[in-house]
Amino acid sequence: MSEVVPKQPGETLFGFLMLALSLFLFWQSYEIAGFSALSSPGAFPMAVSAIMVISSCVAIVHDFKRPADSFEWQHFFERILPPVVGVMIGIIFVFAVMLETVGFLLTAFAFLVVTIKMLHKGTMAYTTLISALGLVVIYLVFRVIFVVVLPEGLIPESDIMSAIKEMIG
Amino acid sequence: MDALSYFAMSWLDPSLLILTALGTFLGIYVGAIPGLSVTMAVSILISFTFSWDVNDALCLMVGIYMGGVYGGSRTAILLNIPGAPSAIATALDGYPLAQRGEAGEAIGLSTIMSVIGGFIGIIVLAVAAPNVSEFALSFQPRDYMMLAVLGIMLVGSLAGDSLAKGIFAGAMGMLIGTVGLDPLTAEERFTFGVTELWNGINPVAVMIGMFGISEALNQLHHLDKMAVKQKIDRIIPHWSNIKKYFGLSVQSSTLGVVIGALPGTGGDIAALMAYDHAKRITKNPEVPFGKGAKEGLVAPESANNAAVGGAYIPMLTLGIPGDAVTAVFIGALFIHGLNPGPLLLTEKPEMFWFTVGNLTLANIFVLIFGLTGIRLFAKIVECPKGILIPLIFLLSIVGAYSINNSVADIWWMLGFGVLGYFMKMYGYQLGPVILGVILSRLMDENWRRAIISEREDLGSFFLNLASSPLSAFLLTSIVLIFLSQTPVWARWIRPLWAGKEDKAQA
Repeated sequence: MSEVVPKQPGETLFGFLMLALSLFLFWQSYEIAGFSALSSPGAFPMAVSAIMVISSCVAIVHDFKRPADSFEWQHFFERILPPVVGVMIGIIFVFAVMLETVGFLLTAFAFLVVTIKMLHKGTMAYTTLISALGLVVIYLVFRVIFVVVLPEGLIPESDIMSAIKEMIG
Repeated sequence: MDALSYFAMSWLDPSLLILTALGTFLGIYVGAIPGLSVTMAVSILISFTFSWDVNDALCLMVGIYMGGVYGGSRTAILLNIPGAPSAIATALDGYPLAQRGEAGEAIGLSTIMSVIGGFIGIIVLAVAAPNVSEFALSFQPRDYMMLAVLGIMLVGSLAGDSLAKGIFAGAMGMLIGTVGLDPLTAEERFTFGVTELWNGINPVAVMIGMFGISEALNQLHHLDKMAVKQKIDRIIPHWSNIKKYFGLSVQSSTLGVVIGALPGTGGDIAALMAYDHAKRITKNPEVPFGKGAKEGLVAPESANNAAVGGAYIPMLTLGIPGDAVTAVFIGALFIHGLNPGPLLLTEKPEMFWFTVGNLTLANIFVLIFGLTGIRLFAKIVECPKGILIPLIFLLSIVGAYSINNSVADIWWMLGFGVLGYFMKMYGYQLGPVILGVILSRLMDENWRRAIISEREDLGSFFLNLASSPLSAFLLTSIVLIFLSQTPVWARWIRPLWAGKEDKAQA
């Protein structure tokens, strides 16, 4: 507590965003039942969102007192949101969009190849091998042991599985 | 007799035995690999194991918890990177010990001391929980509400730098927990007309987002950090050392259990306080603290594992989590249809004794795995982050999807993951968010029960609150903790205190 940590780029803006969110949620809480009764369904949300409003105000005031660098936005993409983080969030977004139509196996494989290549920077053959290995382990553990149902998409997985079972049985 | 048979259940059933062993083994690695946390692992596992038999799921998760708390010490000693927050204090003297070429001895000693701490925690749990649970039957709804507030306050104020941000995070969690139909009146809250939101936001999706995605995104900043290899030879510690530090270990463990049992404080705080305690009571250490004093290794390692048993006390008897990991555990118990609280011990004593037996078993596995397999360990910990992080992302996504077989939960997970990432970057703690989500319903319901029983009269609510010793004590604790973190304390109360002491001395 004693030493003052310098402000991160964008911290004040984030504080204001949190305040705006809190105010919006307070208004929404009020809409539930207004000030009708202390035991109304809206009473607890209103109290809690009021705490959010007050604490975010206090946090903003505290942040104003802390020293900051002059070129905030320049540092924002270096320290807070480096390109790799932004790209990663984007890739997960695409993963979620593709998952149901393309299916788990293909999407997950593509995801692993792209991200491992991006982060580990190995050769393409090594990346493909590691991705395939990782996918096989995850598939066996979760599909077979944990019996998690994953979207099939383009690969008729259950037909293949039942064919394999028939061959074995 | 019944208790004993429940206690031995996981020992005698081969599949439960294997699951506990597997959990502990995995836990040690999860705890040891920086970037993977026990909270993350348990959050992801809940989504996979909810269709399992409850005993199987608990065995795996208890093992991971016990192993994970211990595992953090490994990388703290070898790489000076605490694998888990509860191992921060371990690194202070553990790493200097490794630098002096005593890595093996440090790992061996920390294993033995963790196991001693673990056992003390479990014994206290077995003895204290039935009494606490009996006492808890007399708790009023308002007491539950205040206990929950106390827990969130403690997590918010002790873990981070800013009390305001801690309180904000806790309140945000509580609000997330209220989304959906009101359990008492079925009124819609924050559903924005979307029927899919009637059941609320799944807490598991929030947990995976906050602890899986945001943590993994955070790790992308540290991709280039290379591991420094240490030479490890002898791992079984010298008997003379165990004898010498046994007393300190028991003291630190006792401290650890008490801190673990307080709602809101867990292994990390227990370990730091035990380290401080060791520093104060050791007058002439062989090696100074911070330079490789074995006392500085023994104390936090005993305390953080003892805190596991301690944390189970409020969790099983009151339904109030001690820290983020136990909050996730309570989520798991709810999903399996169990309702932790004072009635759990009377209605389902088998569950309680099963957990105690299982924790004991997991602790024995910590001893076995802790003293073996160090070469394999060194290999796995060196797994490049560029490969590990994509796998964590994939596991998180699969975990979120499997909650309801729906992509919607992936969106929630991603949303909370990104929010959690920025919150963490800007100094907001994520622990209070999860505690808030888990405790939200308990607080909402108990507040309304309390105020309805007072006929909506705030005056009589506070009058009754002040006249009950327990309620008054809880309220005073909350107010004092709050004030101690605000300028009011430094400006008004502390000088008042100091003034009194001066007068007394004069």
